Amino acid sequence: MTAATDAPARYRTQRARGGVPLTAARLLRIELRRSTMPLILPVIAALFWFDSYRFGTGTPPFWVLRTFWNMGQGRSFMDFAPFVAGVAAWTGSRDGRRRTADLVTGAVWPRWAAQLAAWAATAIWAVGAYLAFVGVMFAVYAYQGLLGSPPWWWVAVGVAVVTAFCAAGFAVGALFPSRFAAPAAAFGAFLLAIVSLQNGFGDTSGWPLILPGNANGNYQPVSGIFYPYLPDLPIARVMFLAGIAVAVLGLLGLPGRAGGARLRAAAAMITLAGVAAAGTASVLVRTARLTPHGMVIPALHDAASDRPIGYAPVCDQAAGVPVCLNPAYRRYLPEVTADLRPVLAEVAGLPGAPTRAAQVAGRYMSGMFEDQNGVAVTISGHPPVLRLPLDEFNTLPSATPGSAEQFDQEMLLLPVHAFVVRGNGGGTPAQQAVQAALWQQAGIPFAAQPDVLTIFGLPAWAGPALQGLVGNSQSTNGPGPPHGPVYAAARRFAALPAAARHAWLAAHLAALRAGRTTLAQLP
Amino acid sequence: MNVEISDLARRFGRTWAVDGVSLQAGAGVFGLLGPNGAGKTSLLRVMATVIPPSSGTLRLLGRDPRGYGPRREIRRRVGYLPQNLGYYPGFTVAEFVEYFALLKDVPPRQVPRAVAAAVEQVGLGDKARSRLRTLSGGMLRRAGIAQAIVNQPELLLLDEPTAGLDPEQRVAFRAMLRDLGERSTVIVSTHLVEDVGAACGEVALMDAGRIVFRGTPDELIARGEGTGAAGDAPLERGYSAVLAAARSAAAVRS
Repeated sequence: MTAATDAPARYRTQRARGGVPLTAARLLRIELRRSTMPLILPVIAALFWFDSYRFGTGTPPFWVLRTFWNMGQGRSFMDFAPFVAGVAAWTGSRDGRRRTADLVTGAVWPRWAAQLAAWAATAIWAVGAYLAFVGVMFAVYAYQGLLGSPPWWWVAVGVAVVTAFCAAGFAVGALFPSRFAAPAAAFGAFLLAIVSLQNGFGDTSGWPLILPGNANGNYQPVSGIFYPYLPDLPIARVMFLAGIAVAVLGLLGLPGRAGGARLRAAAAMITLAGVAAAGTASVLVRTARLTPHGMVIPALHDAASDRPIGYAPVCDQAAGVPVCLNPAYRRYLPEVTADLRPVLAEVAGLPGAPTRAAQVAGRYMSGMFEDQNGVAVTISGHPPVLRLPLDEFNTLPSATPGSAEQFDQEMLLLPVHAFVVRGNGGGTPAQQAVQAALWQQAGIPFAAQPDVLTIFGLPAWAGPALQGLVGNSQSTNGPGPPHGPVYAAARRFAALPAAARHAWLAAHLAALRAGRTTLAQLP
Repeated sequence: MNVEISDLARRFGRTWAVDGVSLQAGAGVFGLLGPNGAGKTSLLRVMATVIPPSSGTLRLLGRDPRGYGPRREIRRRVGYLPQNLGYYPGFTVAEFVEYFALLKDVPPRQVPRAVAAAVEQVGLGDKARSRLRTLSGGMLRRAGIAQAIVNQPELLLLDEPTAGLDPEQRVAFRAMLRDLGERSTVIVSTHLVEDVGAACGEVALMDAGRIVFRGTPDELIARGEGTGAAGDAPLERGYSAVLAAARSAAAVRS
């Protein structure tokens, strides 16, 4: 018997350059073809439609609003996470379940490389599906003519979430190979998603901001319209999630069977790099602060992101006063103009009456759309300009029942208050009486005012002070038109001929605004 | 010598699965016989570099597998069929063989030809596009053999390769073994002594982790003559006689 110890391996003699990438590509092709992930995609698609797409359809047609419900709150990622983690765990546990570990371990390519090929195929399917589903949703939104611009950074966060859950699930399967790995990983991912989502409604600062389901500060309603979507938080989250993905994939290269000593050392370095990236991102979000147009992380912030988006306003006339909106709000211009017309007509020619109405960007104290300090409609400047932060309105006319009516009422309430009271207080009784009379003249009857003043999301001035006023009349005397001294004065004032009312206001408006007028002084 | 093993041992916990085995083998078909638990599978796993030895020296194809570089070179030249063949049910036969051809570092441009040759060699040419989950046990075994030979190994390690094969397939398989043995070292672990008689030029018999006999099949047959050992065939009688002698010697020693 003779040995062939020094002979080259039979297939080694013709080994071509570039063989490693080609081998990797062929491995990946096989894994892509036989991946389990496509089998679960119809389920994810159904859930994505039901939970992500459908959920935002009732909101006004702005990119920032529609996508807040499905991407800003993390729904679109969470629809994927449990399924992706489960399927990845199923794939990761394959060698253990199928008893192929000996064959793979005894091959030339490190077992880690084979595992990475299997993971990459799973991740490509999952990320590809995520991008496809989001792409279809965005295409539908574009077809529907949504206004503003899409939140591309949050698409990147979604890709990072899907990749990280895929890596974590795969690692669970590879390290604990059994048929229970997949359900355990899916359930674990579901729990993580729930925790992440719950923290989104409770934490507005600190490390929970790194969680992809945390909605605080993700979007401001001005994003993509008045200001760019701030990329600071998405960058930190992508860094965190990519770090986790890299770390857990690196972990798979640490066991002795994964490969040689050098490869395991490289895996250790990769794991540490992943941990460092995730840790750094977690530290960075602790420095985050919320600004009126998004979450700012100083170390990641680019001042260029603070520059407003330039635009040429679209304008119309209401009672001879130009009314100008951001072009993204073009479809609301007729409604805004019609709503403002009676108010502007009523105050036209009076001192401090607006000579122009212009939409301005709202200011937000919290990332939650609902948690506002009120709509700050103001009249300021020389000549006076009525400034309307329409994005702060609790509702814009949409398919939601009652939204158009509520919007119309807010458009009457807020400018009158800005004209008469000027500030955030409820006003003196005389101011309240004149305000109520002007509302009556503009189209909100006295009888309707108690209900209108309870609209959710109105500023603080419409809260305790005015609701106390109308509450007295209702709670004490039961349902019916509000009365009491303020409304008695308001009725008197409203009953005056328009010219008389106008003349009185022209003479006494300065004193009324200064709070020096009493109810008894009202005509 | 393609295989040079000296005083090799492998322990799992407190159990010595392989206990001081020394063995040399060159080109040809080498049979590894023994009862269940004799240590054959553990010895083959060590030779396939799947698990390291606990002690002793091992040189395969002139290289020491303890070093990473030499181990890769050995693996490039070794084919291995485990006793419990694992497989991915969703893969086709061709994909399964291609997958391991790629992992064995067969140059990617030569992979399609190598896969086709290996699949044809085990008689699965018409099943190349069939999913593994649709194959019978015997066909799966042949798919496993195809992945073991796809890199044209210089050292082929087959653990119970004929389990599940029908008689016709076993005859064809023995012919293939003889052919492979012309240019490679083929080590076949089996319970089936007729496989040994038909295909192996040399045989070793293991019991309790040790080699208790080493010689040609004829020499094994000679050991059984006139001993009254149990067995229907001469080789079986030789097998039984050797085992009985080894066990009584071990009993005397203990």
